[in-house]
Amino acid sequence: MDQIALAADFAIIIVVATMIGLIARRLGQPTIVAYIATGVVLGPVLFDIVTDEGLVDVMAELGLGFLLFLLGMKMRFDDIREILTPITNIAIGQTVLQTALAFLVAWALGFQTTEILVIALATVFGATPIIVKVLTDKDEITSLPGKIDVGVLIVQDIYLVVVLALFAADSLDNAGEIASTLAVIFVMMGFIGLFSILSSRYLLPRIFRRIADNKDIFLIVAIAWAFLFIAIAEGFNLSVEVGAFLAGISLAQLPYSKELEDRITPITDFFILVFFASIGLQIEGAASLFAYWQEAVIASVILMIGNFWIMFYLIDREGFSVETSFLGSINMVQVSEFSLVVGALAITQGYIGADVLGYLTLMALMTMTVSTYIIAYNHAIYERLAPWFSRFESDEKVDRNLRTYKNHAVAIGYDEVTERALPLLEERYGEVVVVDRKTSHIAELEENGRYEYVFGDFRHSEVRKAAGLKNAKFVLSSSVQTDVNEALLDEVGDDAIVFAEAERIHDARSLYRNGATYVIMNTYLTASKLSDYLEQYFTDREAFEEIISQDIERIRRRGRSRAESERTGVDIEFDPRKLGGDD
Amino acid sequence: MSELIIALSVMFVTAGALLLVANHFGFSPIPFYIIAGLITGASGFVDQPDLIELAQWGIAFLVFVFGIQVDFNDIQSVFRDAEVAAFTQLLIVGSIATVVGYGFAVFFGAEYPLRNAIYFAAAATLSSTIVGAGVLEREIRSNLVHGRLASSIHFFDDMVAIGVILVISAETLSDPQLITSNIGYGVLFLLAGLLLYRHGFPLLVRAADGFEELILMGSISILIAFIAAAEAVGISIVIGAFAAGIAIRSDGAQALGVRNGIESIRDFFVAIFFITVGALVQIPTFEALVLAASLLALVLFVSPLVHTLAFLYEGYDTRTAFLASSSLNQVSELSLVIAIQAWLLQTISDGLFDAIILAAAATMILSVVAKRYEDLVYHTIVERLFRGRQTRYVDEHSRVEEEIDGHVVVVGYGRQGRLLVNRLEKLEVPYVVVENDPVLYDELQLDCKNYVFGDAMASYPLERARVADAELVVSTVDHMPLSTHLLEFETDADVILRAESSRDATQLLDSGAAFVNVPNVLASDQLLDNVEQVIENEDATTALKNEHLEVLGNLERYGFASRFERT
Repeated sequence: MDQIALAADFAIIIVVATMIGLIARRLGQPTIVAYIATGVVLGPVLFDIVTDEGLVDVMAELGLGFLLFLLGMKMRFDDIREILTPITNIAIGQTVLQTALAFLVAWALGFQTTEILVIALATVFGATPIIVKVLTDKDEITSLPGKIDVGVLIVQDIYLVVVLALFAADSLDNAGEIASTLAVIFVMMGFIGLFSILSSRYLLPRIFRRIADNKDIFLIVAIAWAFLFIAIAEGFNLSVEVGAFLAGISLAQLPYSKELEDRITPITDFFILVFFASIGLQIEGAASLFAYWQEAVIASVILMIGNFWIMFYLIDREGFSVETSFLGSINMVQVSEFSLVVGALAITQGYIGADVLGYLTLMALMTMTVSTYIIAYNHAIYERLAPWFSRFESDEKVDRNLRTYKNHAVAIGYDEVTERALPLLEERYGEVVVVDRKTSHIAELEENGRYEYVFGDFRHSEVRKAAGLKNAKFVLSSSVQTDVNEALLDEVGDDAIVFAEAERIHDARSLYRNGATYVIMNTYLTASKLSDYLEQYFTDREAFEEIISQDIERIRRRGRSRAESERTGVDIEFDPRKLGGDD
Repeated sequence: MSELIIALSVMFVTAGALLLVANHFGFSPIPFYIIAGLITGASGFVDQPDLIELAQWGIAFLVFVFGIQVDFNDIQSVFRDAEVAAFTQLLIVGSIATVVGYGFAVFFGAEYPLRNAIYFAAAATLSSTIVGAGVLEREIRSNLVHGRLASSIHFFDDMVAIGVILVISAETLSDPQLITSNIGYGVLFLLAGLLLYRHGFPLLVRAADGFEELILMGSISILIAFIAAAEAVGISIVIGAFAAGIAIRSDGAQALGVRNGIESIRDFFVAIFFITVGALVQIPTFEALVLAASLLALVLFVSPLVHTLAFLYEGYDTRTAFLASSSLNQVSELSLVIAIQAWLLQTISDGLFDAIILAAAATMILSVVAKRYEDLVYHTIVERLFRGRQTRYVDEHSRVEEEIDGHVVVVGYGRQGRLLVNRLEKLEVPYVVVENDPVLYDELQLDCKNYVFGDAMASYPLERARVADAELVVSTVDHMPLSTHLLEFETDADVILRAESSRDATQLLDSGAAFVNVPNVLASDQLLDNVEQVIENEDATTALKNEHLEVLGNLERYGFASRFERT
């Protein structure tokens, strides 16, 4: 039967990558190395089963697009405002100094003039996918060194877009032409950036306030937003990544981005795997790869060390602590994946030959692989070297504080039950974070201004992280979803008090077994209370009137509040087949 | 940048804009994906073989997730609630549609008349889980009988669709040996899935050290392996994807993240699938229009009618039967899968292919619109038609003392209803229970002195419960239409209702309810006490927990656990 084979190249990549990934995991290695190795194994170097053409190429590109989209979504201006100036200084300094260093090294190794120029421009340090991926896996992407690195990488990406556009231009001979090309690029990027900022202020809050309550539509509209920017970027001859990143940034400024992050992450993981494998696939064969292997090894070592010191000097100069400077620099010691792209472009333009590309590729592969381990063990390395590095310490150097929650209370769902408990929790724990998946509830919390809030479904780990669940002292969940509550109990600290809600006795028992302090069972609480009311109705009518008047007052007060002003919908995702409390 | 990314951009941007419209009017996204496909298809951007391949991934993930969600207890619930209706509808509508489809196929000179007849029948008979579950969200959530019935039937239809796909992937339908071998492969795949579920998947979780990304990729690798196996033995990839879904465990601590992940990836590809399907439609020919019109007639009228009659035969009341069937009036998304499989095999006529897709989009939208008028239709047409039969049936199945007076009418015999009845018996206050769930009928008979077996939304059961002479009406059902209906009923009795939110409750209080039970409000006092207790003295937690466990134990002992726990 002639179906279109799904067992195509890219299916093979996924299966093999998973197998190598599992082995790598057992050996304690990062998954990226496994994915790149997959490309090497399947590509021309070893078995030559798979090519990076057609769908594989598209998926790799999509992966990079989604990664940058995701990265943009993590960039909330409020979070990085304090470190924006130092980041810009560092990024510009780093770009200039390390290009100079790469130029010197290439010159010293005896390449020809054009080659030196290409190599200097192409050897950019700091590979976005690797740093972002490994730091995200380590949950350090939003730490201070992580933010500095990401900030620098973004400025660098802009620089790379410029370099790419330059290489794509027909000739590099005429200074006037170069200048005009540059001007056009900057104007375009400014235009898209402006559009992104304006829409995040005026257009998006309106659109997303309407759709964020509907999970599926929310996701697809967000993806559509990314593709809109990709298409615009394409219209201006800019890369997919720039468009996706700007789309992400404009979404990041909305209060709804946390859950979206968690929904985009798996799609990114899926495609980015193909991207990393395609790096391995691009190596055309052992011969050209190893043509300049000695030079590549020397250059790699010099550039890794040199670039570390460049970064360390620049971050340190901005007055960050030694540890931050160290971590921020040591994360950046790999050649960017863009150097391969730039190299490939330079080949098609005839500036360099296959051997120079091999040199660039080998350098990228070596530094990427080594640096993955360095990033994975960055803290351990710092601890070893800390005594020596302590000579750079001084009292003026302090890190800007990035806010985190600690020993606070978390409430899941903003309803009658949690609302009344919040003042009590605030009094006891100081800080209360409310997590809710309804835009109207979030709007009320925002207006109220008293409690912190996170928009999103608690079933998403990104949302749990944003609420600081791990450090919470008290958690009050008004979700009846057993799987959500179990994930919660799994994640909280041992001494945290957890109140969770359950619909059935069976579920309540299992929550108790998993460590819940108290399980709220509305149905029974209500039923026994209602039975009492009923009894009073027949035995002591006055007492009945008295007691219901209090409840009625409460209901009316709540009924007027803004949170209830919109159609009441389902505020958590549910699986219709798993429900059915018969009451 | 490649052409494909431009095509994807056009598709997603169009779909995104249309989804804003869908969201505004509360429609399901699927028909709007199809419309986005129709638009982009006409614009000529989306004409690439690679897209078909991405769309195939959409099918694979759609069925894969369905497989993951399948709980074999659901099969049991179909047999408990709706076996007659499910099979009757399948037989009657299925045969009518097959005959009609065959007629058309011959008339329009299709190459494979029998196959086209089956495709036509599948489209006419099966209903859509995604759209149906969206339409009935609240009903299923508050566990109203018709919501439960409809989702049972949806589940049944999905299983039938998988079966149909299995059979039609045989190269010739006239060769019984080939079909049996296909079915044999299907069973083998299922068994392999189950085996992997038992032994393979836990192994994967252990090998991945609980690392979510690897479990996710491992799950997708299982999907790919099953699909490859399906292609190797020559059966549809849908079967492979379904069996792979069976193999994935959806419980345990990592499961939540992995399931979220797979669902996100599915949503991405499924959007591509539906848009691509829409883009494949040509400008409709006369043939396509005739076929689409007859599909509409079958799906919107014939099929609900057969369902209604079958539900009535099974002992459901008229309203439940009508409402359940009226939410089954749309073409299934799996019928689209069947159609595109047939299109890939080149065994479906162009006209029928277009007709199925157009009919699917139309019925999926109409189904949501129809939902808004169903009460009107029920009161003006259905109720009148069945009134005599209905009173007879209620009378036969109810027991109310002749002269009962000053009593309490309890609406709903779930957990709350049972606890209330228990208290009323202790107080020796006379009561009548009104309930319409056939599953609870035996208990009503055994436990209650007075009961009416009928739908409280209809007027006769309330008359029968002598609401006019009652002192108090207590409803344990949080369904606004029912609450309003009870308030409108002419009686001097005080009315206590139930609502999920304070906003609804305020509205009901304003329209004359004596009290409204909002569980969150009633429970909050007790909860606040407990929170205070624990905050002040952390040692109190053990006592609180033990006390509560004991209360729960008592509830269970006296039969107040939920129905599913008691059986």
